[in-house]
Amino acid sequence: MRRWGLSGRSLRIRLLAGTLAWIVVTIAIAGWGLAGLFHRHVAEQFRVGLESHLEQLTANLAIDQNGKAYLTTPLSDPRLGRPNAGLYWQIDRLDSRQALKKRGVLRSRSLWDHVLLVPDDAPSDGVIHQHRVEGPGGLPLEMIERVVYPAERPEQPLRLIIAADASLIAEPVDRFRGLLAWSLGTLGLGLVIGVIVQVLVGLRPLGDLRKALAAVHEGHAQGIGGTFPREIQPLVDDFNEVLAYNARILSHARTQAGNLAHAVKTPLAILANAAVRRDPQLPQLVAEQIALAQEQVDYHLARSRAAAAVTTPGTSCPVKPVLQALIRVMERLYADKKLTATLSDTASGLVFRGEQQDLHEMLGNVLDNAWKWAASRVDISSQSDADWLTVLIDDDGPGLPPERREAVLARGVRADERVPGSGLGLAIVSDLAQLYGGSVILDTSPLGGLRLRLRLPAAHKHPRIR
Amino acid sequence: MRVLVVEDDLVLSKQLTDELALAGYVVESATNGIDGEYLGEVEVYDAVVLDLGLPQMDGITVLKKWRAAGCTMPVLILTARNAWHEKVEGIDAGADDYLAKPFHMEELLARVRALIRRAAGHASAEIRCGLVVLDTRSGRVTLDGHTLALTSHELRVLSYLMHHKGEAVSRGDLIDHIYSQEFDRDSNTIEVFVARLRKKLPPGSIETIRGLGYRLTCPE
Repeated sequence: MRRWGLSGRSLRIRLLAGTLAWIVVTIAIAGWGLAGLFHRHVAEQFRVGLESHLEQLTANLAIDQNGKAYLTTPLSDPRLGRPNAGLYWQIDRLDSRQALKKRGVLRSRSLWDHVLLVPDDAPSDGVIHQHRVEGPGGLPLEMIERVVYPAERPEQPLRLIIAADASLIAEPVDRFRGLLAWSLGTLGLGLVIGVIVQVLVGLRPLGDLRKALAAVHEGHAQGIGGTFPREIQPLVDDFNEVLAYNARILSHARTQAGNLAHAVKTPLAILANAAVRRDPQLPQLVAEQIALAQEQVDYHLARSRAAAAVTTPGTSCPVKPVLQALIRVMERLYADKKLTATLSDTASGLVFRGEQQDLHEMLGNVLDNAWKWAASRVDISSQSDADWLTVLIDDDGPGLPPERREAVLARGVRADERVPGSGLGLAIVSDLAQLYGGSVILDTSPLGGLRLRLRLPAAHKHPRIR
Repeated sequence: MRVLVVEDDLVLSKQLTDELALAGYVVESATNGIDGEYLGEVEVYDAVVLDLGLPQMDGITVLKKWRAAGCTMPVLILTARNAWHEKVEGIDAGADDYLAKPFHMEELLARVRALIRRAAGHASAEIRCGLVVLDTRSGRVTLDGHTLALTSHELRVLSYLMHHKGEAVSRGDLIDHIYSQEFDRDSNTIEVFVARLRKKLPPGSIETIRGLGYRLTCPE
C-alpha cells in the first residue's frame, strides 16, 4: 500500500483527497463539454442567420437588359445600410468557367469602399461554402458564399456573399463561459463542503472509538462501551472479547502462580523449621518434601497449560505425527526394553480439537505408562466418530486389578512403588482429558495387560485454513 | 571413560562433576553453550550430560551442531523442561536420553552407564570376557566369581578395554578416554597400568599389537 503514498495517513485525508480529485475532474469535464456544446449551438444559429440573408439576396437578385445585376428591393436588415455595422453582402461576377471576372459588382452600403477578398474555390451549383475573411478595419468576418446562374444570362454566373462580424459568435460564447465558470465553481464548492461534512459526520464513530480505546489504555474503562455503526460493532465486540479473554488469562495466571507458590512454600517452611531445630531427620525430610513439591509443581503446571489451551478457540492438531514422535522418544528412553510397538493405520487422518502440547502431554504420559509396564509389546489403535476420537493403548504387562483402576486416575496415587515416576502421570491425563470434555477409561487388554482408552474431541479431518 | 558435563549452574555442575568422578569417570565441564559445543566437537567423550537452558547458546542448538558435525557420542539431556513436547524436541534433536530436574544422582549415574554401555553395543549391564565379568552398574570386576582389587586408573583402563573387547585399542585412544585433556601424553603410565592388569588377569588376556596398541581377547 506504500505506493499510494497515503498509507498511514488518516482515513479522513484519504476520503477527502479521493473525493476532491473526483469532483475537480468531473466539473472540468462538464465545463469543457458544456462550453463546446454552446459554441456549436451559437455557431449554428449564426450560420442559419447568414443563410436566411443569402436566400433573401438570391431572391431579390435580378438582371437588366444590359446584363447588369441589380436588387429588385433592398435587403430588410437595417445593419446592411449602415457603414461598418457588422453585416455585409457582396456580389462578384464570374465567367462561364467560374473564374473571377470582377469583384464587388454590387455591395451592401455597410461595406462602404471595402471589397471582400473571397478565395476562388468555385462552389458547385446550390452548395454553400463558409470562410473567414478580413472585413472593414481589418476585423475578422465569418462569411458564406454560393454561385448562381441567372436564367437571363446563364453564361455569366454570379457569386453571392453574406458576411458578418466573427465577434458575434465569440461574444456570447465568452459570456456563456464566464457564467458557466461561476456556476460550476459554486457547484464544486457546494460539493466540497458536502463532502467535508459527510466525512466528518461519517467518520465520527471512529473518533469515538479512539477515545474509548484511550480510556481502556489509561485504565478508565474495562472495555469499549456504547453502540457503534453496524460496520464497526463486530470489531468492537471482538476487541471486548479479547480484553475479557486477557482478563481471564491474567486471573488464571494469578491463581496458578498462587497454587505453585503454595506447592513450593509449604515444603520450604517445613524444611526451614527442621533446619532451625537441627532435626536429625533432616536428610529424609528434605527428600520427602522435595518429592512432594515436585509432584505439586508438575500437577499445577500441567493443569495450567491445559486450562489455558481449552479457552483458546480454534486450535487443532493431527494425532498420528504426535504418536509417531512419542514412540520415537519412548524407544530412546526405554532403549534397554526391547518392546514391539505397533501403530494402527486408523490413526491417520485423526485430528484432535485442542492444543498440540496438551496432546503430547496426554499421550506422552499414557505411552510412558505403557512402556513402563509392558513385557514385550504395546499396541496403539484408534476409533473415531463425528465429534470424538478414541486412542486405545494396549500393553502386555501385569495390568491393573479393577478395584485399583479408579485410584490411579486420582491425583497423586501410585499403583506400585517399584517403578519410578511421580505417580501423577495418569492423573494428569485424566484431568486434561476432562478439561477437554473427554475421558480416560482403564480396562483389561486383549494382550493381557492394561487397556487405556483416551477419548478426546475431534476436529474435522481437514482443518480450516486460518 | 570421559564424560563432559555442560551445565551453567555452578553448584549443580560441581555436584555432577564430583559424583561422576567418584563413579570412576574422567569428567570435564563447560558452563556455557559455546564452550560446551567446542569441547564436544574437538575432544573425545564417551558420554555427555547436557543442560538445555544454557547461556550464549541453548542446549538444543549445541546438540544439533554436534550431530551436524558428525559427533556420535551419547548425550543425556538434563533439564527442568519436562513436558512431553519438550522431550520430543530433545530426542528429535539427537539426544539419547532425557532426565528431568529435579533428579536423583543414582538415576543419572545409571543412565550414563547405560548410555556408554549401549553406545559400545552391549545390551546387558554386565560385560563378560571369558571368566572376567565387569558389572557396569557397580563398577566391580570379578574373575571367576571373585572380586578383583583394582585401582581407579586400572579399572578405567580395563573398563575401556572390556567395552571394546576384541578390538584393537590404541594407546592414544586409552589416553583420550581415561584422562582429562590436560594429561601429558608422552608419559608411559598407560604401559604401567596395562602391566599391572596383566598380572591380575588370566595370562594372555591383553595382547600387545605392534604399532596399533592393545587388544582384550576373550576365550569362548
